[in-house]
Amino acid sequence: MEHMGVEPGRLSFSWISSAESTKFVDVVKEVTATVKALGPNINFKKTAKVA
Amino acid sequence: MKVIKIDKKDWAGGIEKIQSSYRLYGPVKSDAFHDFKALEKGELPDLNFSNTRVSPKSVVYPQSEVMFEYSLDEKDAEHHILKDAAKDYSPKAVLGIRPCDAASFLLVKRNFDTPEYKDPYWIKSYEATTFVGYACNNPCATCFCTTAGSGPFNEEGLDVLLVDEGDCYYAKVITSKGESLLNAAGWKTGADGGAPDKIAALEKEAGSRIASSVTTGRLKDKKTTELYEAPFWEDVSFACINCGTCTYLCPTCWCFDIQDENSGCSGVRMRNWDSCMFPLFTIHGTGHNPRGTKLQRVRQRFMHKLKYYVDKYDNGIQCVGCGRCIRSCPVNIDIRKVCDMMNSYDPKACACPAK
Amino acid sequence: MLGYIDNIREISKRLLDEGRVDMIIGFRKGTIPLMNEPCFVKNSGELSTLVWDSNCGINLANYLTDRKEKIGIVAKGCDSRNIVTHIIENKIKREKLVIIGIPCKGMVDKRKIAGMFENGIEDITEEDNIIRVKSRGVETSLNKSDLLQENCALCVHRNPVIYDELAAPLIEEQKSVDRYADVLRIEAMTAQEKWEYFKDLISPCIRCYACRNACPLCYCPTCFVDESRPQWCGKSQDEIDTRTFHFLRAYHCAGRCTDCGACERACPVGIKVRQFTSKLNKDCLDMFGWEAGLSPDQRPPLDTYKPADPGDFIK
Repeated sequence: MEHMGVEPGRLSFSWISSAESTKFVDVVKEVTATVKALGPNINFKKTAKVA
Repeated sequence: MKVIKIDKKDWAGGIEKIQSSYRLYGPVKSDAFHDFKALEKGELPDLNFSNTRVSPKSVVYPQSEVMFEYSLDEKDAEHHILKDAAKDYSPKAVLGIRPCDAASFLLVKRNFDTPEYKDPYWIKSYEATTFVGYACNNPCATCFCTTAGSGPFNEEGLDVLLVDEGDCYYAKVITSKGESLLNAAGWKTGADGGAPDKIAALEKEAGSRIASSVTTGRLKDKKTTELYEAPFWEDVSFACINCGTCTYLCPTCWCFDIQDENSGCSGVRMRNWDSCMFPLFTIHGTGHNPRGTKLQRVRQRFMHKLKYYVDKYDNGIQCVGCGRCIRSCPVNIDIRKVCDMMNSYDPKACACPAK
Repeated sequence: MLGYIDNIREISKRLLDEGRVDMIIGFRKGTIPLMNEPCFVKNSGELSTLVWDSNCGINLANYLTDRKEKIGIVAKGCDSRNIVTHIIENKIKREKLVIIGIPCKGMVDKRKIAGMFENGIEDITEEDNIIRVKSRGVETSLNKSDLLQENCALCVHRNPVIYDELAAPLIEEQKSVDRYADVLRIEAMTAQEKWEYFKDLISPCIRCYACRNACPLCYCPTCFVDESRPQWCGKSQDEIDTRTFHFLRAYHCAGRCTDCGACERACPVGIKVRQFTSKLNKDCLDMFGWEAGLSPDQRPPLDTYKPADPGDFIK
């Protein structure tokens, strides 16, 4: 997706077992912080410009 | 008929003048192709083209068009009420439309403007438009307009017809709408007495260059059911990949699909071109699809253009011979070939399937 | 490649006459220059309609999907790789097929040639590496190697990877081809530049889906863009919907695309749609050493797990 212009950091993959609650929390915090830092995604948003 | 002479050095100045009272559309080149686009202030149409890749039907009938807007916010006093979307029906003009494409609007009009049903969007947009045609001195090899009810100098559907005569354009004034546009441009010089002869000579030469044709004379007498059941459809449809190229590029295909699109608490009801080549075109809510196979869909396209339309309107085929579908079909399905097959089909003579 | 046709007809005649196949899928001469039409022949008396030249770019594997007959199919290198993919994905049974392999010397880029002759093309003939174009009565000779479709110029699998018959002896594969120069060029851009690049790339798109439908991989009974319950993707000319379609189409081809160029060839508005899939092909090669459709005995990387699979992107 980054190749097609989606900013790095918007998309994350994680492998978390149901037993890894702390990892889950950490990953969610990190992903949220990264995306917040990037701000709203203005590119991938429909603007309804059709005539 | 009045003929105006436009010196090519007065061309750009005239266009600039028209732009104050008309929204202009014209062929614009991007990469290797020309397409009709809205012209910016001071932008000239590029008339150095055979024909555009996509037909100019979108000038009147956009591929996506919002019809209504609505609010779903229950705090809004007028929520859930469809309201007309804002539209611009101020005068516009298409410069450089080819005669075949201009003729297609008359054909499409039979569908959108009937005594019974009137499509307000299409009609208002069409009526706001002045069609300035551009005669084809050099038709393409795939043009078969002369046997499809049109021709390289055909005037039907046009308000003005421009003929390129080297240093100048001769402008044949066809309607008062066309005359107003020429006046707005300040093009008023009457052409010399020899102009009609010169135009006729160019027309004759262009006509002689049309190398391909269709035969349509017997389509009307064919039995619909016999054509429908003709064995050649398997062969005709085999290569088809069921994309929408032919129908989307076609100036005479008019089908659309209506969609609601919501974003948060507001939404629009829009229509988008649709294509009989897509399975989605006919699928029912139950999941049943009466035209579920490619053969059925390909047959529908040709039967509609070359038989149902012929029978319903008694005004020729639903095709103006522009050749776009032939040039752009990814797998070379050729309407000229199919038309001839249908026109010459004799169920008695053909007991064995044509392969 | 012109000499191939006699062998194709001869092999086809034998297959049909011996009842080994019910139909031959190949090409017949097109009605306009630079185009041939995929067709089938069921009767060996009609094999003279079959042709072979440098305008047979359409991927015939697309015509095999879910067919039940016994089929003889003419297959270039890329077609054969898509046949392999079809076999792996259970879209056709190997035993139903007799593959007539074509060692392919590349197909010509019809847009490139058409673009060179503004007055239109009356006729085209070819022999070996020479293409002769007649336009307004004037004949021009061109080198075929300058006119190849981009994916053909970059092809390293010209020979069929699977076949039962051969229309000609195998040919030497192209070596030292820089297949991914375009991908590297885009990789060097910033995120915003990439975004704008693809925006411009697809701006002429009319959503006709020719790219999808020409692709042998796109055989889903209902494509995600055609789903209505729920509707994943809007139907208008909205740029984001168009982009969503192109993104997802490309991803559905990841690890399966053979770079046959059918999508790009089919596009009526000339969009270089391979720009989407090339990156995925390069990644598959870099990360998994995988190129699609080379052998019916190997499972694709995206439906198998190996402990050594790269996983750096997973946090």
